[in-house]
This record gives sequence, structure tokens and C-alpha cells, in this order.
Amino acid sequence: MIQFRINGKIIETVEGKTILEAASAAGIKIPAMCFLEDQDHFPSCMICVVHNAAERKLLPSCSTRAEASMDIYTDDEEVLEARKTALELLLSDHVGDCEAPCQTNCPAYMDIPLMNRLLVAGKINEALQIVKRDIALPAVLGRICPAPCERACRRRDVDESVSICHLKRYAADFDLSQPTPFQPGIARPNGRSIAIIGTGPAGLSAAYFLIQKGYRCVLYDKDPLPGGALRYAVPDERLDKKVLDQEIGIIRKMGAEFIMQHEIKEDALPGLQAVFDCIIIGTGESDAGFIGLQKRSRSFITERNTHQTSLPGIFAIGSAIKPGRVAVRAVAHGKEAAYSVDQFLNNEVVRGENRMFNSRFGRLTSDEIPEYRAESVNGPRIITENLQGFSPEEMQKEAARCMHCDCRKKDICKLRIYSENYGAVQKRYFPAERKPVRKIFKNKPVVYEPEKCIKCGICVRITSKYKEKLGLTFIGKGFDVEVGVPFDQADLNALEKTAALCAENCPTGALALKENDND
Amino acid sequence: MDQNQELEKIILENGREQKAVIPILQSIQSRYNYLPEEALKLVCEKTDITPDLILGVASFYNHFRLSPAGKHIIKVCTGTACHVKRSELVHDEFSRTLGLEKGSNTDKNGKYTLEKVNCLGCCTLAPVVLIDDVTYGHVDIEGVHHALRSFEQEKINKNKKSLTVGREKDLQGEIRVGLGSCCVASGSEEVRKSVEDSVSTHGLNIRLKQVGCVGMCHQVPLLEIIPEGKDAVFYANVRSENVNAILKKHFRPPGFWRRIKTSIFDLAGDLQTDQNWDGIERYELDVREKHVSTFLGGQVPIVTKYRGAIDPLDLEEYIEREGFRALRKCLQEIPSDELIGLIIRSGLQGRGGAGFPTGEKWKRLRNNPGRIKYIICNGDEGDPGAFMDRMILESYPYRIIEGMIIAAWATGATEGYFYIRAEYPLAVRRIREALQRCRQHGFLGENIDGSGFSFDIRIFEGAGAFICGEETALISSIEGNRGIPKLRPPFPTEKGLWNNPTLVNNTETLAQITYIINQGVGSYRQHGTEKSKGTKVFALAGKVVRGGLIEVPMGITIREIVEKIGGGVPGNRKFKAVQIGGPSGGCVPSWLADTPIDYKSLYEVGAMMGSGGLVVLDDTDCMVDIARYFLAFTQSESCGKCTFCRIGTRRMLDILNRICTGKGTNKDLEELENLADWTKKGSLCGLGKSAPNPVLSTLRYFREEYEAHIHGKCPTGKCRDLIRYTIDDHCIGCTKCAQNCPVDAIPFTPYEIHVIDQEKCIKCDGCRQVCPENAVTVN
Repeated sequence: MIQFRINGKIIETVEGKTILEAASAAGIKIPAMCFLEDQDHFPSCMICVVHNAAERKLLPSCSTRAEASMDIYTDDEEVLEARKTALELLLSDHVGDCEAPCQTNCPAYMDIPLMNRLLVAGKINEALQIVKRDIALPAVLGRICPAPCERACRRRDVDESVSICHLKRYAADFDLSQPTPFQPGIARPNGRSIAIIGTGPAGLSAAYFLIQKGYRCVLYDKDPLPGGALRYAVPDERLDKKVLDQEIGIIRKMGAEFIMQHEIKEDALPGLQAVFDCIIIGTGESDAGFIGLQKRSRSFITERNTHQTSLPGIFAIGSAIKPGRVAVRAVAHGKEAAYSVDQFLNNEVVRGENRMFNSRFGRLTSDEIPEYRAESVNGPRIITENLQGFSPEEMQKEAARCMHCDCRKKDICKLRIYSENYGAVQKRYFPAERKPVRKIFKNKPVVYEPEKCIKCGICVRITSKYKEKLGLTFIGKGFDVEVGVPFDQADLNALEKTAALCAENCPTGALALKENDND
Repeated sequence: MDQNQELEKIILENGREQKAVIPILQSIQSRYNYLPEEALKLVCEKTDITPDLILGVASFYNHFRLSPAGKHIIKVCTGTACHVKRSELVHDEFSRTLGLEKGSNTDKNGKYTLEKVNCLGCCTLAPVVLIDDVTYGHVDIEGVHHALRSFEQEKINKNKKSLTVGREKDLQGEIRVGLGSCCVASGSEEVRKSVEDSVSTHGLNIRLKQVGCVGMCHQVPLLEIIPEGKDAVFYANVRSENVNAILKKHFRPPGFWRRIKTSIFDLAGDLQTDQNWDGIERYELDVREKHVSTFLGGQVPIVTKYRGAIDPLDLEEYIEREGFRALRKCLQEIPSDELIGLIIRSGLQGRGGAGFPTGEKWKRLRNNPGRIKYIICNGDEGDPGAFMDRMILESYPYRIIEGMIIAAWATGATEGYFYIRAEYPLAVRRIREALQRCRQHGFLGENIDGSGFSFDIRIFEGAGAFICGEETALISSIEGNRGIPKLRPPFPTEKGLWNNPTLVNNTETLAQITYIINQGVGSYRQHGTEKSKGTKVFALAGKVVRGGLIEVPMGITIREIVEKIGGGVPGNRKFKAVQIGGPSGGCVPSWLADTPIDYKSLYEVGAMMGSGGLVVLDDTDCMVDIARYFLAFTQSESCGKCTFCRIGTRRMLDILNRICTGKGTNKDLEELENLADWTKKGSLCGLGKSAPNPVLSTLRYFREEYEAHIHGKCPTGKCRDLIRYTIDDHCIGCTKCAQNCPVDAIPFTPYEIHVIDQEKCIKCDGCRQVCPENAVTVN
């Protein structure tokens, strides 16, 4: 046994153990990407670096043997900066999107590709649930949304964008036609109540998400019926008000309390504050104001992502802070404010909705289009008349046009998770000219995207260990080194025995199982 | 023989195990000029070598080609000395001349393939080009055409019957006189006549052959003497009155049995000759500009003892001059622990760069109880701008072998390896021959010299990977793997070749051993400084009058080397800096030229001993370009494993490329320093840790040049994107520039001042080089 220090504490370990092993036995977590248990050590990613203060050296903890003289720090400033820099360097050579561009362009950040895949698979209920993770009024939006997602859709570079908006509408309409439409799970009441002023899309959405978190929501409106601009500004031929009523009905059923024809006057905030824990203002574009709240022209001034106003505990959303009556933006604000309110009331740092680190690479070049098309079906965009939705066949055909631009490993990718944890900036070292992206489907059931590879060699070691006939190997060296199949034989599968193992252990989305698509 | 049979033969010769992979690939490539996929697949079928291994290895080493190449290979050297003499322009001119299409390096007819090579180790002849086995030195833009013409001419000459003045029977040898256009212009015709006269006067039976241009036109006329059955000797700048003496040195009239050595030897010795010229093929690789003895002052020959005086392969001569005396002494009188103590006391440090105490390393191996132990001579000299190992291996093979046997005796090693760069075929041939002769004389093999001690040495030819100079990568390479370094500890002395304890010593280190034993520790310690003992061999090249291989005591100053030994900077230019230590080293500015050369002092000024490349830079050299040059080298030679080295060096190069093309910003400079810092701290092996040195040292001493580039100006006019060529009123209208311009950017206007069309100009420097009036200016 030897003793050495980690983070000032004396740790005991068996001689020959690595720093990482000794640390993890002592309950100290060190991040690692290229490290795989029971494999020869091949330190390359350098995320596991720790600082040996005794020698003022950075060491890869996954492969450095612990020694008695060591004085290791696993999270000091030097180490954090080293990890961040290593991640930024890896990201500069990592060409891929975590989330698809449609999702990142959606104000509500809805997981569109996943919805599409579920629709293709005929799992309409599941698709709807994905939609309702982020959007409170999908049937409404499915009719009136300007669909910024479709402007970002990569399929536009091929022919025309996927009809995302109408696909969402299909899922929502299908749900509303069921005897008991979907209702999200609701946490136990937490005893706190929120006043929401305005029952437009912003306020309805805020209530929808706050109720799920256990808050009591009371919505005030000067008008006789809830819906705000959706009801009073959108003509019936664009939005059948029955649909609006149905979706409001769900929120009401969830527990929202509506106090209609009750205008909140400009001096009424202190009174509300005495009764409610927080106030959310969703009064739409209006000249009206509240005493003590600053406005610039017709908009309340709020902090960007949190929607906090100048008064603590008061939030403002929707067209009340940004004119234009974009329903999807209002719905997004409602969701974001729900996060802010929750953080505010739990004495957390108010940050709004946390969007995880997201790698993105910009437009597809013409050479890359075939790589992406391989994941979708051919066929023109299917258009439906405005008030009439897709037939099931149309829906499936259209959803299958989606090219799977999001990463298959976006939820488990270590590069992404650590980039998030260490605050890495994707573009810091990103070159002016990026590498062209490829998607290789030859080695079933695996999809290989070389431009996402961080050259850790875990897969190379796996195929060698299990004696694949062809296997994978490093080809070339230096910056241009790549993992590839020797001789690149089209007729032979390089991963006969180890496909799943390689995909599972690949720390990024470079190797992934194709069949895991429906999550 | 069909491919199948040929491969069977290759496999039979090299073995079927994994470790045979590199030798097998080398054999296949020398047969086909590249590695055909079919052949590689067959190897996988017939041996234990797997597809992932063979492709991994074949694609790792620069030497191997995976696509077909032309009939002849043109290699443009891009070593440091060649780079500062603008080899890049030479490469571009070849590319234009051969009409290469973008993305292809072979011409349409499949005749020539154009490649860049890291360093041919002929730095004093820079820029150097190798076409097949023919070396051309001092190749400028015009030289490209000379070289190609001469190469073509030589192919024809090979088929022609040579001019013979003697009888085939009892032939004493051959004399070759250069009769290329520049040779004739410089008087080689007269030299030829003198040879004929001399031959008939002395009744010699000699074949006289006239040959085309050698490409070294600054040294003409050239004369090469190849006595039958002996190594050839090469003479430059020969005058007709020297001919008689040269001939007498090499040939004696029939019936005249006494050796004429004395006075005639001295006379011939004064000429600029090259004793090591190996004339097996015409224009061998082993060409050097000057005889080393012309600048002996200030040098201390330990490694290079008897230079220019001994025949490298003459074992008897070696023995006559103390050869194998040290070994005998060790075997008979010095027990191994005492011997190690001796080496420790001598203060000898590894000459490969890091300067680890040699004796301590030996002790580690000796103390390891392993039954099988290896000793490896590291001759993988990959630094561009360095050619010490090559010269030592070629010129003093027995000295290194003896040093190695002594090391084996001291440490209990059972088997030895020479790891030699593939770019040094002559060194390989010499060592192979020397090992054979040692075996024949009982210095290698079972029971060495009757001592009961047994040890033998094999050769492993590298395949072109700078990283293999790192000891753990070198070991991986011998094992038949990609040359990827391993984390130390465990050190090779603990767990090395095939997991056995292994000692890796640099060539030069091993060549110092016999001196320490023969002359004693005291004598050795007299040379050098308090902390760094003995001598260091440097390859002196670049902007210096007398370049070459020098051996100097540690502690000598940079100024003494550049000014005294090297004769200063030529052409009225100003001495600006020296680049020491190649890609791991740094640039020491002229104002620090009084820095003594030892491990510590060099480290303090931001350089490194490295393996001993020393390239002198003058005021026309752009320091940002030098930094970019080295970084381009290290980033392409990185093994590609660790993040900081693989990507960090590339991103630093991106920034330097931006700066050199005028797109850099102050933020780039900051980021460059930041990346340099992290690459140093975060890399695992010496290559990555030292890769930022050239950047950091130039930033430290020449920051204003970086800033000038950011402001759109290259102060020395080297960075092509920041300069323009113009013709001033010194122009006499001779039209030479117009005739030479490869892109017709200069209209043909006789007797008028010429004008360069900036739109068309590709900045190839051709016009400036041909202008007789220095009227082409760069700004």
C-alpha cells in the first residue's frame, strides 16, 4: 500500500494503481473520455488531467501510476483551464450538430427530429408527448406558427424543408381526438401560488409549466374568455376557436384557475404581491403599465433569458416584452419564465431554461447533401390546405423526409457533457474552413461519422481485442489521423462482432447504433 | 516471377511475425515503388500480420506510398537549411515544369513523382534535390531545369559506351570529368585534357568518362576518381595543374609497388575533396561541400577523431589507430560496475537532446535482473537541418559499434539494434558491412575476443517518422507498430523492447565511449564546462561561409562557432540568429551570441541542445516564417495521439498561417502564446512538449516582426502574400526576366525597363534570380 495526497486528503491505495483508480475508490470523480476499463491505457484526450503540485506537472490520471510523493489536485484552476482548453481543441476538430438546426431555431427548442422519427414509426402518442415537453398549445401553433424551424431545416438545401409545423399539428390533432387527451405529470402542490396576468399564449404556457412543477396558478384577464390575441386577433379561418378551447381545457383541467373580466390596474401589483409568491405579466402589446415597472416604448424591460423585471418576483413575457405577436415565441417565454420563477423561489441563481452546450457547424455544402440524404426518403414536400391536416399516409411520408440532423448520442456524448460542465466555447479554435462531414452506414448496424471522432482509439482497441476479421485501425498520423476500416472493403463488414460494443463505448457520436433512433 | 511468388520470397526473407511488418513493407515498396493493395492483402493471408496492423503501419510512416508513383522520384529537401534557401520555390518550379495538376504529384506520363522530404542531411548543399539516387545541390530556379536535363542525359549516358583510353583487362579504375554546360564554362575541358596527358605519361590503365552536369555548378569543374574496387573520391574546383597530383594519389604506374602517400597526399588533401564519396552509383548521396579539415580550428575531435584520414570500413586501419583497444580493456580489466562508475564520473550526457546522464541510464539497465536485455543505437536523426548521425554512422561505424559492445558489457545486454533512418541508405550499407567484418574478426557474436561475453547487433531501418527519435516510439516501431510514444514511467530500462529492459542511446553518445576509456575520465572531463562535459557534434549550415560537421567542446560560444569556425555570414549580410535544436529548439538572436553552448545555458535562452542542428540565419530570414516552418513540421510529424499536440500544434499553425498572410490580429498573438503554453504543459512526450519552442523563442526575441506582419508587412520580404516584386530603373532591358517568367507576367520589351504584371505574378523569385543588374526589388 502507498499513501499520497488528493485534494489535500491522504489517500491509501495499492501500488501500481492509477491516480484515477485510486481517486475513484476514494469517491473522487475525475472525468475521462478515452479511458475504458479493462483496456490497455492509451491516454490521448487529456480530459482526465490532474495537477501534481509536488512537481508542478499535469498528468493524465487514467494512466499515471499513483506514487507516494504525489500531491494531486483534481479540480484546481490549472486543471479546470487545462480541461477546458483540451475540450475546445477537440471541439475545433469536431464537425457536427448536437441538436438539429430546426430545434435550435425553434424559440421553444422543441425536439423536432425525435418527433419526426416517432411519427414515422407510427408512435403518435409518444410524438405528441415530445412536442408537449416544450409546447403547451401544439394544435394551435400547428395552425398559425410562422415555423422558424422550417427556415432552418437542412432539407431546404436538398429541395424543400420538411413540413414540421403540420406534422406537429397532426400529432396534436390526433391527441385531441382521443377520449382522454394527454396530460403531463404534475408534481405535488408545493404551497406556492403564482399570479399570471393575461391568458394569451404566453400566460397559458407559463401556467402549463408551473402547474407541472407543483405551483398553483391564477390567471387574470380583462376579457370574458381566455386566449388573448389567439382568440381576439386571429381570424377564425386561420384558427378554429374550438381547437383553442380544447387546449385551454387541458390546462384548466390541470388546475389552472381563470379569473376573467378582471383587469389588473396599474397600481394593483403590491396587492397581488401580498397574496402571490410571484407575478408573471403576459398582457400582450399594450400601452398599459404598472407602477414601478420600467417600460421602453410599449415593452416592459426584462432580463434576456430570465424575463425578470426591475422588481424582484415579477416577470414579464410574450408580446408584453417583445412586440410582434409571434405565438411560438410567447409560448417559449412562458416555459422559460416557469423555470425562472422556480429558480427564484428556490433561492437558486435565476438563469431561465438551461440549454445545454450545443455544437453546430453551419450550412451543408453540396458535397455533404448526399451524406445527409442517405438518412431520409426522397420525395417532394407535402402541402396541405390550411384548415385540413395530413392524412396518416401523408404524415408518415412527410416525416420520413427528415434527415436526422441531430446527433444520435446527444444525450450521452461525453464531449458534450464535459463541454457543458467546463464551459468550453465551441468556436474558440474552430478553423475558418471546416472539414466536410460524412455519414458512413456500411458497417451495419452502426453509423460512423468520422468528423465527430476524437481519436481516442477505444473502438480500435475493442475490434483488436475481439479479433475482428477486418476491424478498425488508425490511418495516417498527426492532425490528419483517422479511424477507418483497412482496405475500405465495401463487401465486408468490419464490425461483425463488436458493433454494439463500439457504439456503446464511443465517447462521442462518431459511432452510434442506427436502431436506437426512437430513444 | 509473379506477385505471389515475389511476396513468398519477401516473407521468407523477413519472417511472418508482427515485427516483420516494416521490413516487409520496405521490401514491397522497393519492388513496386509503392504498396499495392493486393500485395498487402496477400501478406495478411500469408502471415500473422492483420489488416488493421498493416494499414495502420503503412499509413503512419512517411516512407510508404499507398498509391502508384512515377518511374522516377524527385525529392525536394525541405530541411531547415534548404528552407531558408527557399526550397519551396524549387518545389514549385518542379511542379510547374512537370506540369503537375492540382492534387497530383505525378506527371501525366507517369515518369516523375514529386515529393517533399524532411531532410536529406546534405544541409551544406542547400537547396538539395534528389532524383532517384542522384543528388543535386544548390538548386535554384534555373537549377531545376539543369537537374532534370542532367538526369535525362545521365540515363542516356548509362546506355552509351563510355570513352575508354585503357584496356578492360587489368583496369586500374575510372576517372569521371564533369562536362555539363557550367563545367565546360569553368574549364573542365582543360581538366579533361590534363587527365588524358597524365594518364598517357604515366602509362596508367584507366577508363576516362565524361559525364553531364552534376548540379553543383558553384563548385565546378568536378572530377571523380574511382580506383578499381575502392571507394570513389570526389574533387571540386579542380584546376588542370592539380590533375597530376590527384591522379598520383590514387593510381600508381604499373610495376611501381611502393605507396606514394607523403607529399602528394598533402597536396591533394588541400583540395576540396570528399573522402567518403561512394561512387557505386553516379552522384551518390554522400556529397558534401567542403572537406571538413578546412575549418578545424577550435574543434576537438573525439567522435570525429581521424576524420578525413581513415577509410570508414577499413577494419585493420581502425585497429591500427586504437580500434577495439577500449573494448579489450573493458573485457579484460574493468568489471562492469566499475565501468559504469567510470561513465558516470566522466559526466557524459545523452547527446540526443535531453541530456540524461548516460552512466545513470546504464546503471538502471544493469540493475534490472531481466534475462534478456536490449541496447539500441538511436540513429533516427529526424531533425530537419541535422546530419550528425548520418556522418558519424557513415564515417565512424566501428567507433559506434565498439561503444555499443562496451555498453552491452557494462549493462549485461544480450542483443543490440541499430535503428537507422531510411533516408540514409549509405549509412545502412556501411554499418551492415562493418557489422559483418566485426563478426568475421570475432568482435561480435559468440565469445567476443575470447572473453566469454557474447553479443550481436542487427539493423532496423526506420521508415520516415520523426517521432521515432523518441525512445518509446522507436521501440514501438521495432516491434512492428505505429511509432506512438508511451507514457514514462515505466522507462525502457524497466520495460522496453518486447517488454524487456532496454537501453536506448544516441549515436553520438555511443561514439564518445571509446575516448573516455582510452584517454581516461580526466582527459574527457578537461573538455567542456562545469556542468556539461566533453564535446558536441553540430551540423553547421544555413547562412554561413563554411558549413559542415563540426565537433566542439561544450561551453564554446555561439559566436565562436558562427564566426570562427563557420567563417561568418556570407554575402555582406548581417548575422541575425541561430536556430539550435531543430523543431524542439529555438532561435537565439545574434545579441545573445556569446551564450555558451551547454544544456543549461541553451535552455535558459529558450533553445535546446536538441540533437545538434545549428542553422545560421541572416537578416533576410523572416523569423515568423521560421516559426511557421518548424510548426508545420512538428504538426505533420505529431503521432496524432494526444489532444494538445495533435490539435494544438495545428491550431498554432493556423494562426501562424494567418499572420504570414497578413490576416493575423493582436488577438491571434495572444491566442498563439496561450496555445503554445498549453501545448507545452499538456503534451505527454518530448515532441509535443517542445514543439512550441520555435514559436516561443521567436516571440520572445522577435516580437516586433510578428507585429509587423499583423500590420501587413513582412520586414524581410519572405512571406509571399505580403510582398510584391517590382523592377526599378537599374533595368537594362536585357529581357532575361521576361524569358524566365513562368507565367508571362513580364512583357518582353528589349532595351526598355521591364514591368511586372502584379495580377499574374506568382512571386516565384525567378526574375530576381536571373537579373544581372539587381533591378528586381521585393517590398
